[in-house]
Amino acid sequence: MDRFRRFLVSDHAAGWAFILPSVILIVVFGLIPIVWGLVLSFQKAGLISPEREWVGFENYTRIVSDPKARQAAVNTITYTVLFVPTSIMAALFVAHALNRKIAFIRFYRLAVFIPVVTSTIATGIMFLWLFDKNFGLANWLLGKIGLGPFGFFEDPDQAMIALVLMTIWGWLGFDTIIYLAALQGVPHELIEAAAIDGASRWSTFWRVTWPMLGPATLLLVVWSTISALQLFDEVFFVTKGGPLGRTSVLVFYVYRLAFEQGLGALSLAGYAAAIAYVLFLVILVLTLAQFWLGRRVVHYQS
Amino acid sequence: MRRRLFAILAVTALVAAACTGRDDDEGTAATEETPAGPVTLTFWHGYSDAEAESLEALLDIWNADNPNIRIEPLFVNNDKALQKLTVALQGGEPPDITYQYGSSLPQLAAAPGLVDLTEWVQESEVNWEDFVPGARTAATFEDRVLGVPALIDNLAVVYNKTLFDDAGLEYPNDQWSWDDFRAAAAALTDPAEKRFGFSYPMDASEDTVWHYDPLLWQNGGSILTEDQTQAAFNSPEGVEALEVLTGMAVDDQSVFLDIQNSAYTDVFNSGRIGMLVTGPWDLPSLPDVDYGVEILPGFDGDHQTIAGPDMWCVFDNGEGRAQAALEFVKWLTDPEQIEQEALATGHLPIRLSVTEDAAFLEEFGQAFPGVDVFAENLANVEQARPVLAAYPQVSEAMGLAIVSAMLGESEPQAALDEAAAQANDALALGAA
Repeated sequence: MDRFRRFLVSDHAAGWAFILPSVILIVVFGLIPIVWGLVLSFQKAGLISPEREWVGFENYTRIVSDPKARQAAVNTITYTVLFVPTSIMAALFVAHALNRKIAFIRFYRLAVFIPVVTSTIATGIMFLWLFDKNFGLANWLLGKIGLGPFGFFEDPDQAMIALVLMTIWGWLGFDTIIYLAALQGVPHELIEAAAIDGASRWSTFWRVTWPMLGPATLLLVVWSTISALQLFDEVFFVTKGGPLGRTSVLVFYVYRLAFEQGLGALSLAGYAAAIAYVLFLVILVLTLAQFWLGRRVVHYQS
Repeated sequence: MRRRLFAILAVTALVAAACTGRDDDEGTAATEETPAGPVTLTFWHGYSDAEAESLEALLDIWNADNPNIRIEPLFVNNDKALQKLTVALQGGEPPDITYQYGSSLPQLAAAPGLVDLTEWVQESEVNWEDFVPGARTAATFEDRVLGVPALIDNLAVVYNKTLFDDAGLEYPNDQWSWDDFRAAAAALTDPAEKRFGFSYPMDASEDTVWHYDPLLWQNGGSILTEDQTQAAFNSPEGVEALEVLTGMAVDDQSVFLDIQNSAYTDVFNSGRIGMLVTGPWDLPSLPDVDYGVEILPGFDGDHQTIAGPDMWCVFDNGEGRAQAALEFVKWLTDPEQIEQEALATGHLPIRLSVTEDAAFLEEFGQAFPGVDVFAENLANVEQARPVLAAYPQVSEAMGLAIVSAMLGESEPQAALDEAAAQANDALALGAA
């Protein structure tokens, strides 16, 4: 009892009281689902029915021989490999361009950030119109300079590229803001010292500024990789995984299995949970690896 | 963050699934229990615009006449009604009555609390035999009646009269073969004007598949073998049926390939598509076109079409609510209400006695030009899609094959063979 009273008046109790609302949310919507998802992944189940059957690791072994899971995995990796470096390089370029004192700079910064707060549905509708094969603005403009017409979302070989372009546009603002903040945190005396030592602007950027941006870059690489591996909204709304499954990514495939095809008794929800768990483990390992690598190469200002 | 939030929600749903559970997994039989006092029933429907107005009008009548059984409507998008229902079931609070697609039935059949209507529909007042046969089949799974027909559609040709006149072509007629159709589509196509003879849903969904099914059936093919254990659509008849479509899409380039399956009504409405194969639900979206409606072209004089029936399902929430819900559904699907609804919305009457009423048909045809052709076309419905737990996967395999062949990515025979192999795997596993 004494210990309990001591706890109540300690800083610990106050701390817990303050974070309790978040803890409850994380437990209810985070931890419990994670545990039950694991349980489900060892069962044969359909979400509409309470029937369950234990199948051990069958759901996991099944993934290996499922061509559609393989296709979704390849698509997810392709998307991530295209999206992460391109979006980060683009953001660095834009942030650099916006990191100066020119007229209307607030307007430009706002313009770059607006897509981030625009709903995915609105972005999706706009790009469906822009990238329409027959009547879209993009093909009309490209036609003026003698290119195309491109199929974009309608061409099995171009849909993934179009998807990457659309999501980069949607997410560029977020990465840019992070880089902009980091750029403004680069001490001016370092740049000045480099200039006095006779460094060109190019080598000042790559030898001084870029290393100073290390923590921001690490954050963006980790964050973008996780987001890219979990891509869903844009696929669900714009391409529906098509054409011919060329944009069917893992989370979308999980959705189709668990919520569209496998709702019935003893159906595909367990299998879907198994795929979701494999994806979770991959993301976990990748993130740890990125942080481990980051500690070795990223320069933190002391 | 949006992505993260979604992932969390999805996982939560999966989890809720793992940990909840009601014991009654089989459909419950309709109870004799009647509610003690007034009840308010939750009623999910997917009707909007004129359809919703008509429904509201009917509900007003019902609620005025039945103070003890109040119906509270809630709009739920039909395309996601099954998903919504799943969530509601996980929460232990399914609606008392819900609108569902017929194609959802094999999955729905496992839902706890779904009322088995097999005995109830035999009651004379329901007059079960008076429902259109295709709709009855679609509401029946493994000899159990699990829904009451709500709506039935079928596919026919909707054509732009102006484009036919401009091209100097004769309108489609009920003797057309698919060769006639193909020739007309080619003649109506003009790449410079971005005009197409025909349009096809290319999202590899069930919509893609059911546009192909009538060709398959007309040509003497079938989706599955008779015992429903093997795919049969890769037969020579099936390949020939698909070659009609690939001939137009690949060789003639006369088809607007609607990859997202979301643009064709707008494109048709702007006068850039000559012919659609679609159902009556699209007609209100085509106000700018002077259109005509004709039954499907045929193979060797067989002009059968396909029906898309939807249904009302009832859930047993205890306290006599199911009995009250059935009272309401019986009233809602009574010929008198069906007729009123049809005249207000253009829905095809789901009751044979209404369809056979000549005075009604005339009024119907005047109110909704062309819809009378769809109503009569119900007589050309001869077969139904298999009602099987593995059907969603069979459909997906077929959808991908059709799209692949129509994009010219693979040959019809090879595409259908590959799909058949996938379908056979799914059938062997029984959707698991």
